[in-house]
Amino acid sequence: MALPLIVFSGFLLALIAAVIAHVARRATGWLLALLPLGIFAYLVRLIPAIADGQTVVTEIVWVPSLKVNLTFNLDGLALLMALLVSGIGALILIYTSGYMRDDPGIGRLDAYLLFFMASMLGLVLSDNLFTLFIFWELTSISSYLLIGFKYRYQTSRDAALQALLVTAGGGLAMLAGFVLLSASADSATISTIINDNLFSSSSSMYGAVLILILLGAFAKSAQFPFHFWLPNAMEAPTPVSAYLHSATMVKAGIYLLARFTPILGGTTAWTTIVVSIGGLTMLLGAYLAWQKRDLKRILAYATISVLGTIVLLLGIGTELAVEAAMVFLLAHALYKGALFMVAGSVDKAAGTRNIDGLGGLLAKMPVTFVAALVAGLSMAGLPPLLGFIAKELEYDALLHEAGAYPVLVIVALVAANALVGVAAGLVVIKPFFGRKPMLKRDPHESPLSMWLGPLLLAALGLLFGLMPALVDDTLIVPATVAVTGATELEHLALWHGLTVPMGLSVLTIGLAVVVYLLRNRLQVMTKRTTSGRFGPAHFYEWSLDWMLRSADKLTLFLQNGNLRVYLNVIIGTAVLLVGSVFLFYTLPDMTLNTDINDVSVIAAGLSGMIIVAAISATLFRSRLAAIAVLGVIGYSIAILFLLFGAPDLAMTQFSVETLTVVVIVLVIWKLPYFENLTKRGDRIKDVVIAVAAGLLMTLFVLVITATPLTSQITPDIVADSYLIAKGRNVVNVILVDFRGVDTFGEITVLSVAGIGVFVLSRLRSEKRRRPDDDG
Amino acid sequence: MFAAPTLNLWVITPLIILTVWAIILMFIDLFIPAGKKQWTGWLTLVGLIPALALTLMQWGQTGGAFIAEGGQPMVVVDNFATFLNTLYLLTGILAVFISVSYIRDAGLERGEYYFLMLFSIVGMMLMGMANDLILIFLALELLSIPLYILSGFDTGSDTSEESALKYFLLGAFSSAFFLFGIALTYGATGTTSLPVILDTISLDDPLALAALGMLLVGFAFKVGAVPFHMWTPDVYEGAPTSVVAFMSIGAKVAGFAALMRVLGQGFPMWGELWQPAIVVISALTMIVGNFAAVRQQNIKRMLAYSGIANAGYILIGVAASATDPEAISASLYYMLAYLFTNIGAFAVVIAVEKLDGQKGLLVEDYKGLAKRHLLLSLALAYFMFSLVGIPLTGGFTAKFYVFGAGVTAGLYWLVVIGAITSVVSAFYYLRPVLYAFMYEGPAVARVSRGLMFVLVVAVFATLVFGIFPGPWYELASQATFGNVATFVAGG
Repeated sequence: MALPLIVFSGFLLALIAAVIAHVARRATGWLLALLPLGIFAYLVRLIPAIADGQTVVTEIVWVPSLKVNLTFNLDGLALLMALLVSGIGALILIYTSGYMRDDPGIGRLDAYLLFFMASMLGLVLSDNLFTLFIFWELTSISSYLLIGFKYRYQTSRDAALQALLVTAGGGLAMLAGFVLLSASADSATISTIINDNLFSSSSSMYGAVLILILLGAFAKSAQFPFHFWLPNAMEAPTPVSAYLHSATMVKAGIYLLARFTPILGGTTAWTTIVVSIGGLTMLLGAYLAWQKRDLKRILAYATISVLGTIVLLLGIGTELAVEAAMVFLLAHALYKGALFMVAGSVDKAAGTRNIDGLGGLLAKMPVTFVAALVAGLSMAGLPPLLGFIAKELEYDALLHEAGAYPVLVIVALVAANALVGVAAGLVVIKPFFGRKPMLKRDPHESPLSMWLGPLLLAALGLLFGLMPALVDDTLIVPATVAVTGATELEHLALWHGLTVPMGLSVLTIGLAVVVYLLRNRLQVMTKRTTSGRFGPAHFYEWSLDWMLRSADKLTLFLQNGNLRVYLNVIIGTAVLLVGSVFLFYTLPDMTLNTDINDVSVIAAGLSGMIIVAAISATLFRSRLAAIAVLGVIGYSIAILFLLFGAPDLAMTQFSVETLTVVVIVLVIWKLPYFENLTKRGDRIKDVVIAVAAGLLMTLFVLVITATPLTSQITPDIVADSYLIAKGRNVVNVILVDFRGVDTFGEITVLSVAGIGVFVLSRLRSEKRRRPDDDG
Repeated sequence: MFAAPTLNLWVITPLIILTVWAIILMFIDLFIPAGKKQWTGWLTLVGLIPALALTLMQWGQTGGAFIAEGGQPMVVVDNFATFLNTLYLLTGILAVFISVSYIRDAGLERGEYYFLMLFSIVGMMLMGMANDLILIFLALELLSIPLYILSGFDTGSDTSEESALKYFLLGAFSSAFFLFGIALTYGATGTTSLPVILDTISLDDPLALAALGMLLVGFAFKVGAVPFHMWTPDVYEGAPTSVVAFMSIGAKVAGFAALMRVLGQGFPMWGELWQPAIVVISALTMIVGNFAAVRQQNIKRMLAYSGIANAGYILIGVAASATDPEAISASLYYMLAYLFTNIGAFAVVIAVEKLDGQKGLLVEDYKGLAKRHLLLSLALAYFMFSLVGIPLTGGFTAKFYVFGAGVTAGLYWLVVIGAITSVVSAFYYLRPVLYAFMYEGPAVARVSRGLMFVLVVAVFATLVFGIFPGPWYELASQATFGNVATFVAGG
């Protein structure tokens, strides 16, 4: 039961975080950090067992009919992610207490952060497709809340909505993929699908499932063309950027790719799509990163690049590549988390994040600088740091691949790594060295809470770099095994000897130094390429805009409030619906009644009168005249009834018609002539619809009368009506006896209507008596 | 020889209770002085609650009333009807709690309000229980006419009167289509009894197809499906909000009840014929409903389009039922979850609405609501999340079930449209939430005790459906049509 507890304790603490913040004040962060620390400690204790190949599984039956169960599964991959989420989570909470010191919003921020942490832990521990989706969307929502934390700014709100629409929209695509996957595999438990081989690439669903799940992963991990939301998400407070948008949440897409590698990976489609999207993202992020001036934006684009690299490695999918991806994931979380926190400290101390307005902070903030330096070296991929080992492994993994494309990828990788190195140089060198510009405030070293986190993360990057054995068999190998099922893996080492990867590393660093030194001149050349108007971000804006505009048009078109238009649509659709069914299904073998011999002269005359009256009703400009000719139609029909031997029907028709005309005349008495005459075009439209409806009705009648009606009821009723009901008039007997319940119901309806009309008129006259209500 | 029909009145006891109580209530109302009319409202519950209890007791039973010799019952009760009857009665009870303070504050306090509401509920219940097309038409009138009048209850307000007139004219017009469909069905089969239609109809009969088309038009109007939806925004905007809350659920569910029974029990063998029509209507309804909602500034109009969009989602389950009759349970569950979310949303609208001259109905009027009414704003956010279909809400599980039903039936494109339009819907549903939480503004609300009750119930129910949908879905999947044979034998 420990796993559900790990997940749900975070939600519970989030609920009362604001209260704790109210009581504990400055100690809040330290106090709240105890929970993630406890989770971290618990997970660390499990490392030996997991490394030994065991998994921890807890299952709680939740909604069997939806195939949704709370199945939690802790394997090597989940453990690596969960350790990062809880460990960095603790440090971030502590950092927040310094960053948000004396800000009343701290309780809210901490609550959101805990909410996110719990959702993220749920995401990586879920073994059920649908609980995974639920936690996935919860992380999107917490990200929305956190990006929009400073909600008074329009930019914050826009960025928050953008991130939500992109990531949660991707999540819905993923859900569709999950539905198809679970229907096809007949199981929603991920480990079962993997272990029992319930879904393979030969399935007819494979293509759809692959695309849909990849969409979800790419949107979440800011892959091209969804990458644009991540830099905008930098509107969030810096602890949020450090935690969600570099170390953990954006890794959810990568986690998803890794998790589904055994199910979806290894095919040509997988490799082609994932490698090319990852590679493109890697280059794009790296290309944009070093040209930015805002510390956080530099780091954000570098993050995009790194995410692209990891995606690329997972696309290659060999054991070595996955191992490299796992090491890079760990290294990046450590150094990027640290650098973001450093950026936040610099921002707090100096009042700006623009690298052109910063410099000379070394003397003022020595501890922060040490953290920045160590983390920056890891980012640049220099020995003896974990970032270096990750880079070596990347090159090594690609060099083991045969064919032409690895060479291309290596070139791209060297270029991207070099540019990320330049970005690292900017982040470390610009704020701390050089001359001291005029600043709004006097910078001073951050408090313990704000340098502890970055320093610790940076130090871990150094420690793992020096002693890779610490993480090798304990974390990296189990995680890789969980993804590929591999058994033999390269052991991590700092020094491989004078190998090709080593040479590539030297090349990378050399390139980085050259670009760093020439950056100003290069920037002039690149300026024009980065101000394009056709990026995906523009597509996002354009599509939002398009949606609003088309919604406007649609509403105007469909809903102009004009009753006549509504009626036209109803009639038109009905004619179309019924008419098309009629024409397509029954026209070929339908017989029409073409026998006109038994039509009497009187009937023909009456029909002619009806037609003339109907046409003239549309032409009169006086309402009274129009109603009078409508009455003519009614009476003519009644006479027709009479002619065909239905006197009681005719009587009913007579009385109804008379009453209707009288009532309408009374109502319409006060109304003026028709004044708003329709335009010619409208009238033509009306004529077309009316004629179509009329033709359809005519067709009906001809079809109906072609076959003699065989009623199943009439003979019985005629026989029974006198014998049983003692009535000579069959129609009356039907109304009051055989279908007496219907009539009774009809009477009820009429009385209800009567009472209703009475109430309305009473209400009206009451209102009129109160003059103050007028108008 | 003729024998008196078997009455089996126990089948319609809930209806009898409501009808009789409505009449008694009208007399009691004469003795309740003006200004104390809320008592009429509370007394309405005296009829509704026993009717609900009796309806719940009918769960699991199957029977028919008014069975002529050798014929079919006119009215049936089966789990399908009982499930829906429970929905109407719950809606009615919650609507009373919403209405009491609202119509007092709006100056519309008349005892007949509740009388009309009770009769409308009787009509709704009859819609799902009727086993005969004539009776369905009767039920349609019985439920609609009180609603036409209730829509125009705010006499003197132009929008209210306009809405009532439009609703009445278009409603009467579409009823005519329905009636024509009945006539054609009778022409084709010589009967109006659904089970007999099933036995006698022949696929080659041109009339039967045309009849089905006409019936579809009538139902599509009642459920507010595109392109027969146009009355909804105008009517929702003009009618008193408490009436809208009631009819946006009741009338819609009743329309679906009859649609499902006619298609599922009268024309099931024509599934491949009517499925394409329902698919097209469903797709259009989701697209038009969601896109048109995006730019609405008036929250009642927005909820009207939202109601249209939701009819589209419910139709996915109906379309799927052409090939897989069990898919109906997804739509039934959807309506159950939608009931609470929707009435909750309307309760918030009523709390914020200011009755002096239709103010507080714009989305912008929600600016700064969270500052003064945090809990109300949280409830609003929760209902809107549920309407979008975000996990841990009833709206999510409901969408999940209908999408699942669509996928099982192979209607992939329809489900894709459903998913995309759900994303679009986030755009307008979250706007009032955004305004409430992230803007400064003067929004104030008044939450009467009745509203408080409805809000608590709605939040609780939406939460329960979001977290433990299993047992409720199980109930929905048991809500199947009764066996024709048992109606006759069960006398």
